[in-house]
Amino acid sequence: MKRSRTVALLVMGTAPLFLAACSKESEVEGLYTSLESCVAQTNDSYTCGEAFKNAKQEAEATAPRYASREECVAAHGEGQCEARQAGSQSYFMPLMTGFLLGQMLRGGQTAGFTSSPAFKDRNGNWQRPAPGAGAGGVYRPGAATAMAPVAQQPDRAPTASRGGFGDRSGDRGAAT
Amino acid sequence: MRRLAMPERVNWRARAADSGFVFHTIDGEPYWDESACYAFTMREIEEGLEAPTEELHGMALDLVGDIVASEARMRELDIPEPFWDWIARSWKNGDPHLYGRMDFAWDGHGPAKLLELNYDTPTSLFESAFFQWQWLDDQQSSGRLPAAADQYNSIYESLVEAFGAIARRLPRPFLFAAVRNSAEDQGTIDYLRDCAVQAGIECGSIAIEDIGLTADHRYTDLDDNVIGTLFKLYPLEDLFREPFGAHLPNAGTLLIEPPWKAVLSNKGILPLLWDRHRGHPNLLPAFFDDGRDALPPGWVRKPLHSREGANIQMHLPHGEHLASTGPYGGPFVRQQFHALAAHDGRHALLGSWVVGDRACGLGVREDASAITRDGARFVPHVILEEDGGVLEA
Repeated sequence: MKRSRTVALLVMGTAPLFLAACSKESEVEGLYTSLESCVAQTNDSYTCGEAFKNAKQEAEATAPRYASREECVAAHGEGQCEARQAGSQSYFMPLMTGFLLGQMLRGGQTAGFTSSPAFKDRNGNWQRPAPGAGAGGVYRPGAATAMAPVAQQPDRAPTASRGGFGDRSGDRGAAT
Repeated sequence: MRRLAMPERVNWRARAADSGFVFHTIDGEPYWDESACYAFTMREIEEGLEAPTEELHGMALDLVGDIVASEARMRELDIPEPFWDWIARSWKNGDPHLYGRMDFAWDGHGPAKLLELNYDTPTSLFESAFFQWQWLDDQQSSGRLPAAADQYNSIYESLVEAFGAIARRLPRPFLFAAVRNSAEDQGTIDYLRDCAVQAGIECGSIAIEDIGLTADHRYTDLDDNVIGTLFKLYPLEDLFREPFGAHLPNAGTLLIEPPWKAVLSNKGILPLLWDRHRGHPNLLPAFFDDGRDALPPGWVRKPLHSREGANIQMHLPHGEHLASTGPYGGPFVRQQFHALAAHDGRHALLGSWVVGDRACGLGVREDASAITRDGARFVPHVILEEDGGVLEA
C-alpha cells in the first residue's frame, strides 16, 4: 500500500482531542542561570537568594553521581564535572549550571516557592532531578537516568522590539 | 496517467469544515477541485515519480557541501555574504530538515522532468497528506472507486515519524510561524503542528510579524520567552533582508527549514544540478542567466527567488510568449521548456513530496495557464490498474 494506513488530526478541526499539549505551563516556574538573572526577571531578590541556596544544597544530594570523571564528561561534557568525596569514596558530579524557581503568587506577592538544581547534558539540554530521585548515598550505576528534562527556557528576556520580520511577503502569503 | 471526471462528494464542504480546511475556496474561486482526479498506475508512480524523486533528492543534497564551501557559488546564488558562514555551519552541524516538494512536468510518458525544488516553504501539504487521503477513503466507501484503489501518499506517517526522529534535537520552546493574514500559510503550519503534537512534541505558534527581539539580539515569543526552535513558513531569503534578519546567525534559535536549505530552494540549484549531472533523464538543461539577451524559443526564464509562479517568462517552441507578473527581480536562470501534461486546456503540475529524506507522496495542481500560479487548483489522485474498474470515468 502506497498510502498511510490512517490519517488523524489532534489539534485541527472542530473536535480537537487534546489541546493541552500545546498550551502553556500554568505554573510559574522559571529557569535561571544566575542569581542576578533571577532577580532581574522576578524582582524578588530574597526568594531568588533562598531558592539559589536551597538548590545548591540539593544539588549535592541529588545530582547524578559517576564513578569516574570520564563517565561524567561523557554525560555532561568537558569542563562540566567536579570531584566529590563522601567518606572514603570519591565520585564525580555535574556542575549546577542553573536553578529552577517555582513561585506561587497571590496578589502579586510570593506566597511560597519551590526550588531545584538544574544541570546540562552533553548536548546542552537542561535536566533536573526527577521527583523521588533519591538523595545522596553511594554511587549507583545508572543514576544519571533519574533525571527529567526541563521544558523551560533559561532567563526569559525582555523584548526590546517587535515587527522586524514579515514585511517583505506581507499579507499575500509567503509560501509555495 | 489519465484525468478522470468524478462526482463530488455531496458532503465535502462539511468534511473540509470538520478538519479545519478553510482555504478550499480562495477569493470565490475553487482551490480544492474534486470534480476530477488523476489516475496513475502503480508502475507510473514507483518508476516514474518515486524513484526519480529519491534520486534527485540525493543528488541535490550531494551538492550542498560544495556550494556552501564556495564563495563564488554563494555569490552566484545571490545569498548575502553575512550569512555564508552560518549557512555552512548549519550544513556541517547537520541541522535537521523536515520536508520539501519537487515539481515535475510529466504526462506519464518518458522521464518526468524536474522544474524546480520547493525546499524551503512548500505548501499544499494538508491537502496532499490529509484531505486527499480522506477523499479516496470516502470515494471507496461510496463505491465510486474500487476498494483496491491506492494513493501515493504516506506523507502523514512520514511527517509524524520525521518529527519523532528530530524531536530530541530541537531546543524548546518550539514554535511554528507564518504570515498572520494568509489562511493558506496558517493552515499549513496548523497541520505541521498537529503532526508534531502527534509525535509527542510540545509546541506552539506565533505570527511571523509578532516575533520579538531582545536587547542582546535573541528572538522572543509574545511572553518574552526566548524561542528555542522556529519552524518558519517564510522564505529564508526574505528573513535575511528584513530588519531582524542580521541577528539570525547569532540569535541561538534553531531554524526549520535550516539555513542550508537556502541553496536548495534557490532556482540556481537547477543549473548547478545540470552542470554536475548533464544529460540526466529527469533534468532539463539549465543555465545562469543575466536576463539581458532575448529569450530564444523553447526556453523559460525564472528569477532565483521567485515563488508561486511569479515573474516567469516563457518563450514557447512555436513562438508564443508568456509572462507572469510579480515582485521578483533578477538574477535569473534559464531552463529548457518542457510542456506540462495538458487535458482540455488544463495544465497539470506534479508536486512530489519528500519528508525527511523519503519520497512519500504526490499532489497535483491544475492551472489554465502553462505557468502554474498560486491560484492553481488542487486535484486529487488515485492509483488504479490499467482497466481501473471506474464506474463513472
